Amino acid sequence: MAAQFTGTRTRPPGGPAAPQPPESATRRPRGGSSLARGVPYLLILPALVATAALLAYPLLRNLVISFQVLDAFQLIQHTTQWAGFSNYTSELSSSVFWDTTVRSLAFTAVNVALIMALGTAVGLLLNRLGKRMRLLLSLGLVLAWAMPVVAGTTVYQWLFDSQYGVVDWLLSELGMHSMAHYDWFAQQMPTFTVITLMIVWQSVPFVALNLYAGLTTVSAELFEAARMDGAGPWRAFFSVTLPILKPFFLSTTFLEIIWVFKAFTQVYALNGGGPQGSTETLPVYAFIEGVGNQHYGTGAAISTLTIVILLVLMAYYFRIILKQEDEL
Amino acid sequence: MVKGRAAIAVLGAAAMAVSLAACGSQNSSAKTNDKALTVWFMSGSNPPGWTKDITAAFKKEHPGVKLTVKVQTWDGIQQKITTALSEDSPPDVLEVGNTQTPYYAATGGLMDLTADKASLGGDNWAPSMNASAVYQGKQFAAPWYFASRVVVYNKKIWSAAGITSTPKTQADLIHDLTVIKAHGTKDALYLPGQDWYAFDGFLLDAGANLVTKSGGKYTGNLDTPQATAAINLYKKLNSFGTAPLDKDEATPQQSDVFAKGDVGSFIGLGWEAAGAIAKNPQLKNEVGYFPIPGATAAKTAKVFIGGSNLAISHNSQDPTMAKAFLKLALSDKYEGELAKVGGVVPNKASLDLNLAGNAYGTVAATAALNGGTTPLIPAWGNVENAPNPITTLFMTPVLQGTSPASAAKKADTEMGTRLNQQQ
Repeated sequence: MAAQFTGTRTRPPGGPAAPQPPESATRRPRGGSSLARGVPYLLILPALVATAALLAYPLLRNLVISFQVLDAFQLIQHTTQWAGFSNYTSELSSSVFWDTTVRSLAFTAVNVALIMALGTAVGLLLNRLGKRMRLLLSLGLVLAWAMPVVAGTTVYQWLFDSQYGVVDWLLSELGMHSMAHYDWFAQQMPTFTVITLMIVWQSVPFVALNLYAGLTTVSAELFEAARMDGAGPWRAFFSVTLPILKPFFLSTTFLEIIWVFKAFTQVYALNGGGPQGSTETLPVYAFIEGVGNQHYGTGAAISTLTIVILLVLMAYYFRIILKQEDEL
Repeated sequence: MVKGRAAIAVLGAAAMAVSLAACGSQNSSAKTNDKALTVWFMSGSNPPGWTKDITAAFKKEHPGVKLTVKVQTWDGIQQKITTALSEDSPPDVLEVGNTQTPYYAATGGLMDLTADKASLGGDNWAPSMNASAVYQGKQFAAPWYFASRVVVYNKKIWSAAGITSTPKTQADLIHDLTVIKAHGTKDALYLPGQDWYAFDGFLLDAGANLVTKSGGKYTGNLDTPQATAAINLYKKLNSFGTAPLDKDEATPQQSDVFAKGDVGSFIGLGWEAAGAIAKNPQLKNEVGYFPIPGATAAKTAKVFIGGSNLAISHNSQDPTMAKAFLKLALSDKYEGELAKVGGVVPNKASLDLNLAGNAYGTVAATAALNGGTTPLIPAWGNVENAPNPITTLFMTPVLQGTSPASAAKKADTEMGTRLNQQQ
């Protein structure tokens, strides 16, 4: 029975919909005044200007700087010292850079997997809950989402503080006495654990709320039909929910990859990439080399390489998007 | 309908453009009108009363000039100063730490004050204090004040533990701290793991410097028996409290921790003690000072001499006014008042009298007689850039259990790289 529904695609409203021109503008009969025809362009102009000023220009500057030696000396003297590709070659031949890259990729993979799994679970739960509990859960999710990143980081620092942290206290009260005054930030893995917890906590609401929004557009009859055909909850998820919401899962996963891969604030603010640089991810490494050590050229080169790596990661997604455009 | 919307959109865009333009013109007109002088001090350097007095005096001398005093924090200061000095209208006068001054002198961001040295009172500056302000024979800053770390202690807690006199030797100190801790004070001494200024003192006392020069190249000097002895002493002292191993004395401000009243002592500066008293006035009569004791009672331990210079930015919009401010700040009146109120060592020996009556100042001046500093070379600034290898690669790992030798090797390598970077 379920088979007859394949092919009907519901577009989830929660995905990152491309800004669409207002209906009235697209359906307008030809021959309107030239001013009216220009309205859509005029309307996207502020967005374009903002993007150009805040994104394209800095990106270009960053690229230019990456081919320079720009230390405190050159910065203060306003001198330009071209370096050719030397910033790139020295990074690409440095083991620190590659270690950091591998670390960043593993970090992204673990976080995105956790975010998608937990976010999906919570989204499905939202769909099943009664009105009151759903409101309560949504409220909690929205609050976690609304928490400013730096404020959230400070809270996590205190939660996991070795002196006054409530986590250590709780664990030791629960019988794990070795966890009393445990220093979470003294080693690589414990530090990553806290960072991961925080990043997952901050990002689950996005996935959960969007999935819930997507689910509300899926007709309940589909699930009912699946159930009638004898599908258990797992089967129903993998055979009904997943295929229908595939565009949602794809776009959200890729958004999360971008978000986690470029997560700077959480990693840097929590422990400065420490201990001993063992939790530096690419954006943190770029900042420490560039701003921290005042080798702005090197930092720019690292950040450019970071963007390239991110683009490679996204290539698959872009391919899908382009394919879809072709089909339309 | 469509036309109406379009008109609204155009109107909106036009309104935005106009308001943006309005913003722009307001800003530029405000800048050109009055004469303005901006001064940057570092957190803890300028006592409130002193700042008020000098602001008033400057206003009286130069009624048309608007003086803005800004206080910066030490955290991330090098990046802030670099950026500021690169701008067309940087702060006119700025306080620069003595260890960081050669770095900025080398970048060309500071004004050459060689010709003004005499008029600023430079002929009477203590030569040892002026050393960091001179680079390649030129005067790039003026020595402002010096300070050395002492032990700040809570008299009530010490006497409650039955200790009646301050320790005269290192062994006495450890004995006293043991007694205080046994008496139930969790933090007999609060010494966070990354106070590298305190560590440098221990290292100097052990007879070594942070770096050494061999064959014209500077390298880290932590893989030495002296550094091992110093960090072991540090570790021992750190164990008399619950201070974090991976934080410095400013996170949280150790004066705030001490202000709670249940901390026996900490190694710090006069302004930190003053900060604790400001936060908790009940401590007013309980705070005492003694120099960090040496191995024998004959001599106190060597300490790191911290200090600050005042410099004028190369791009200062008004060098004349900037020099006028510098002259006022360095005048015997205000230099003396700073010593008196802040308890810091002034730049001229003749002003030392001002320290009498300042409990911290008298102790600190004694301690400063036996002090040292970091190498006065531009590349030193690279070492202090975050993350500082001394603290993150050496101190914290050793306090957490890594062997001093293996941590020192890593730190020395990183310091070597940074010290030999091209400027």
